[in-house]
Amino acid sequence: MSQSYDRGLVEDFGRWREFTAGMWAWIFHKFTGWVLVGYLFTHIAVLSTALQSPDAYTTTIQSLESLLVVRILEVGLLAVAVFHILNGLRLLFVDLGVGLESQDKSFYASLVLTGAIVVASVPTFLAGVFG
Amino acid sequence: MAERYSSFKVGGRRWLWQRITAAFLVAVLAFHFFLLHFVNHADEVTFGMSQGRMQELTYFSLMILFLLTATFHGVNGVYNALVNQGLSGTQETAVKAVLGVASIVLIVQGVRTALAWAGGVPI
Amino acid sequence: MSTQLPDQVEEESTETDAEPTAAPQERRLASKRDRAGEADRRRQAEEADKALDDDTYHLKVFRYDPEIAGKKEPRFDDFHVPFEKGMTVLDALMYARDTYDSSLTFRHSCRQAVCGSDAMFVNGQQRLCCKTQLSDLEAPVRIEPLPHAEVVKDLVVDMQHFYDQMEAVEPYFQTNDYPDGELEEQRQTPENREKVKMSTRCIWCGACMSSCNVAAGDNEYLGPAAINKAYRFTMDEREGEEMKQQRLKILEQEHGVWRCQTQFSCTEVCPKDIPLTEHIQEIKREAVKNNLKFW
Ligand code: HEM
Ligand code: SF4
Ligand code: FES
Repeated sequence: MSQSYDRGLVEDFGRWREFTAGMWAWIFHKFTGWVLVGYLFTHIAVLSTALQSPDAYTTTIQSLESLLVVRILEVGLLAVAVFHILNGLRLLFVDLGVGLESQDKSFYASLVLTGAIVVASVPTFLAGVFG
Repeated sequence: MAERYSSFKVGGRRWLWQRITAAFLVAVLAFHFFLLHFVNHADEVTFGMSQGRMQELTYFSLMILFLLTATFHGVNGVYNALVNQGLSGTQETAVKAVLGVASIVLIVQGVRTALAWAGGVPI
Repeated sequence: MSTQLPDQVEEESTETDAEPTAAPQERRLASKRDRAGEADRRRQAEEADKALDDDTYHLKVFRYDPEIAGKKEPRFDDFHVPFEKGMTVLDALMYARDTYDSSLTFRHSCRQAVCGSDAMFVNGQQRLCCKTQLSDLEAPVRIEPLPHAEVVKDLVVDMQHFYDQMEAVEPYFQTNDYPDGELEEQRQTPENREKVKMSTRCIWCGACMSSCNVAAGDNEYLGPAAINKAYRFTMDEREGEEMKQQRLKILEQEHGVWRCQTQFSCTEVCPKDIPLTEHIQEIKREAVKNNLKFW
């Protein structure tokens, strides 16, 4: 890996235009995985306000949920989770050696399905925030 | 890299568990999202509603298991990603320790919160 | 990389069609005449090409030489090579070297996808130059040395690390499971042969290793070619159970099969169409099954 000179972005991610389906799937899965662990930690931190008092919890959550930004971030989280789940299923099949020839198609399917599910969920996720 | 390799199996077991937890999480994470955004709406969350759910033993234990599997899956995923990038030696040991401590803190905090809702283990 | 298939079929069919009734001697002479005529035509065509600057392929070739002051900074040189039907990227490089710049350095030998010495990074993908038709590529054709390897000079990279990984899996037949009779052959069933068939086709070109994101980050990762090589012997029933255990031990360690993230980039670039990801995944499952037995 050590280079006698710097090929810089010519290597690695400077090549993103030349990536194939499987590599995109990997990058998205990585990204969504990291967002999900990040959220898991934040989530527990917020929920643990319940340790102070019931009221502290209820006010914290309700004030957070009344913010439009938080609602939009939640839609983002849904997108991330749905993609990670669908592509995760794809990876489980790949691990079982099932459907390896259509691994690119199943990646595109995960993307499309994620988009559809997210769009369909937007009304529910934003409900009540404009009230 | 011509030297002979040693130390095996460890990687394999973590690989398998990453997949087992993934299969479990598919169902539970989907359920979790559905329950807390579609059945119950985000702007109606109160301590009382969470309390009501947590006092059910089934729900309580499912959430604890959810916490454990998600923590393992997430933290192990991060660790794997770093090893893939060539993490090794003391750095690897340090990262292992940090991730281990973070997981324990997360699990302890999560369990305490669940107990606060349920008011003790709901048996 | 089956993009070349249609061309090959075309070539084969024209060959077999050629005067099936003529005596061999006559056929040889005829083809010799043909070739001579063709050479003439080629020369004329070349001259015409140069005059017109028409129907040439524009190559952008990576140049670098740490030992020469003027080439210490990597750069791209442009070559305009007259196109001929059936010309491969390797043909074009050889033309450029022989015609314009004899210092242009790259490896090649068999020119028929057998020796594995001319894998390069052509228009954003690891390809075997002698197996890549120019006509399948968009101009300008950008030719670079394999990514994620040390460049020695121009298009030549240091393959040592790749060879080390190949050696690490003991890439040769070993067994202590001999047939009973002293003169008995070590027979393989047709089914078993079929199972390992694709995996035997590797020509050690290193394209897969170069395309692999994980191998790029983790220097200890065995890489697709080595795992495929190990698959070839692990799955060979003639090696026997004890050897299989030994092979799995090599594959199972932290930087063995588990590092594969199923990006399929190796499978995508392998010039011999070896289903690398499939083989790696099978080894993973084999290793898991094997360990479950001992729990
Ligand atoms: C809900 C169903 C889920 C499925 C089916 C799933 C599936 C997977 C699979 C199969 C991998 C392994 C990829 C590989 O090693 O090649 C993985 C990686 C990962 N997962 Fe999940 N996962 C799920 C939920 C989660 C959750 C809830 C989190 C967060 C706590 C998470 C965080 C991660 C992380 C951080 C990685 C590693 C990403 C990387 O390679 O950088 N996943 N997931
Ligand atoms: S597996 Fe394919 S790409 Fe890799 S070295 Fe062998 S022939 Fe080349
Ligand atoms: S020159 Fe031998 S494989 Fe291309």
